[in-house]
Amino acid sequence: MTDRNDPRDELVTHLPAMRAFALSLTRNGATADDLVQEAILKAWSKFETFEPGTNMRAWLFTIVRNTFYSLHRKRQREIEDPDGIMSGAMAVKPDHDGRLMMDEFRVAFGKLTDEQREVLTLVGAEGFSYEEAAEMCGCAVGTVKSRTNRARKRLAELMHLTDEDALEITDDITQSIVSESSAA
Amino acid sequence: MDKQIDENLRRAYHEVAKEEVPERFIKLLEELRQQDEAAKTPEPAGKPKESK
Repeated sequence: MTDRNDPRDELVTHLPAMRAFALSLTRNGATADDLVQEAILKAWSKFETFEPGTNMRAWLFTIVRNTFYSLHRKRQREIEDPDGIMSGAMAVKPDHDGRLMMDEFRVAFGKLTDEQREVLTLVGAEGFSYEEAAEMCGCAVGTVKSRTNRARKRLAELMHLTDEDALEITDDITQSIVSESSAA
Repeated sequence: MDKQIDENLRRAYHEVAKEEVPERFIKLLEELRQQDEAAKTPEPAGKPKESK
């Protein structure tokens, strides 16, 4: 092992986050890891374009999302059921509300658009600022903000968490009434 | 309500993020590094030392 200060050594520390981000985009575990693999190859081959001292995670995430939009999204149009989560969630009779919430969340999240899932993951989950996210997505800060707001709103609708009905929905009947009143 | 959403977001995200990195990626990085060493292509500023 040679002793050198190679910034590429830092790559491996970002892999878990890259996988999580990739999964939010692809909604499929296998495709997500393929996506990460391609991103690693790209990042390695054009590593000289990375400015030392800048945010490597943001740089890597940008490569992941660009690769997704240019390659994977086309391949993925047919894949609708993210790891069988939908069918799994429907069958679940939860022990407590926390787990129901998680499964409902996953189903709802999967229904958002690619861009919505992306921006929610960057801002809400990973904690990038709106400005950072905007740079990574190649769009205006205002776009990121409105996209995030709309995504959150949509998620809340899908999870039946509107301001009017802040109900703990564990009852099927209540659920169907609510979904009838909202244009889901 | 937003808080609930963010909590769920982070939980789902971190469930993956705290998984162990699959072997394939570690191997890939090792291979890439070895290829580099073998090729010894001159890099623009960034590589402090050439390993011989």
